[in-house]
Amino acid sequence: MSHPDVEREWVVRFLDDLRAAEGAAAEVLGAWIAVCRLDGLRGALRAIAEREAAHAELLADRLREIGAPCDASLDERVRAGALARFGSRTVPDEEKLALVVARYPDEVSAMRPITAIVEQLDHDVETREILRLVAEGEGATFAWLRAYHAGLERPGRG
Amino acid sequence: MLQRDPGPERARVIGLLDAFQAAEHAGAEAVGRWISACGDPRLRGGLKVIRARDARHAALAEARLRALGGVPGARPSRELAALCGVVADPGVSDRSKLAMLLGRLPGSAEEPLVGLVRDVESDAETRALLETIVDDERASLRWLRHAFEELEGENVSSP
Repeated sequence: MSHPDVEREWVVRFLDDLRAAEGAAAEVLGAWIAVCRLDGLRGALRAIAEREAAHAELLADRLREIGAPCDASLDERVRAGALARFGSRTVPDEEKLALVVARYPDEVSAMRPITAIVEQLDHDVETREILRLVAEGEGATFAWLRAYHAGLERPGRG
Repeated sequence: MLQRDPGPERARVIGLLDAFQAAEHAGAEAVGRWISACGDPRLRGGLKVIRARDARHAALAEARLRALGGVPGARPSRELAALCGVVADPGVSDRSKLAMLLGRLPGSAEEPLVGLVRDVESDAETRALLETIVDDERASLRWLRHAFEELEGENVSSP
């Protein structure tokens, strides 16, 4: 078990990095929704974008509660590249989906960066429970997109 | 024209979305009041996520029903309002609130919502939106069970 001060230091860094990533993900998903041609995918992306935005807001609130700043941000080139690709009308939805699902082999892997932290949190149990549910959300997002992508690739589908 | 006569299927979906947004809005408000009175940091953490998701589900459902030409106006049922009253009451213990919620939803919290999704046949966007929301509801239920089991375990082990 780490000392509370040591735990706080790495938890704050993790929360801020995750907050920045979730906020950027919500923004990129918003750009994708605006150009998405598949009704079913668009509906799910709306809920997933809200989920990511909720995570970013919850993490920012938690950082403020524990007196830590929110100053992490995604590399601007990475952010701009993602916005350009996922917000593009010329990149097919299938290609965007393939990019997302290629990041992890399964939903457990998608959750692992967060569940690994949950398992190490001994002192800040409020943050631990927030992260436990955020991890579930990440797993659900990945599972839905992977299943939809597999459905699109199934032979016989228009 | 569409807004005045949306057709039976669309009108039915609008009605389902309206009832759902009212329920999620009431749930988010009740959980928010529970958080204010909750002294257990573990519970507060999970409840904060549940409140945030419920509030966003309400907003998503409202946005969708407006996109379909509807106007939100539903109120939560009397039964749901009573349930929310218990959840929001600072005089009721955390353990009782969890037991009541889990007792009311013994199998799966999302069951009514799963029925709602099944009923949305010809609107792929609304259907996928609700399917994705079901995933959040499942996660909330799993976490509520986990929290209840932790509290029960502590009661058993304390002298």
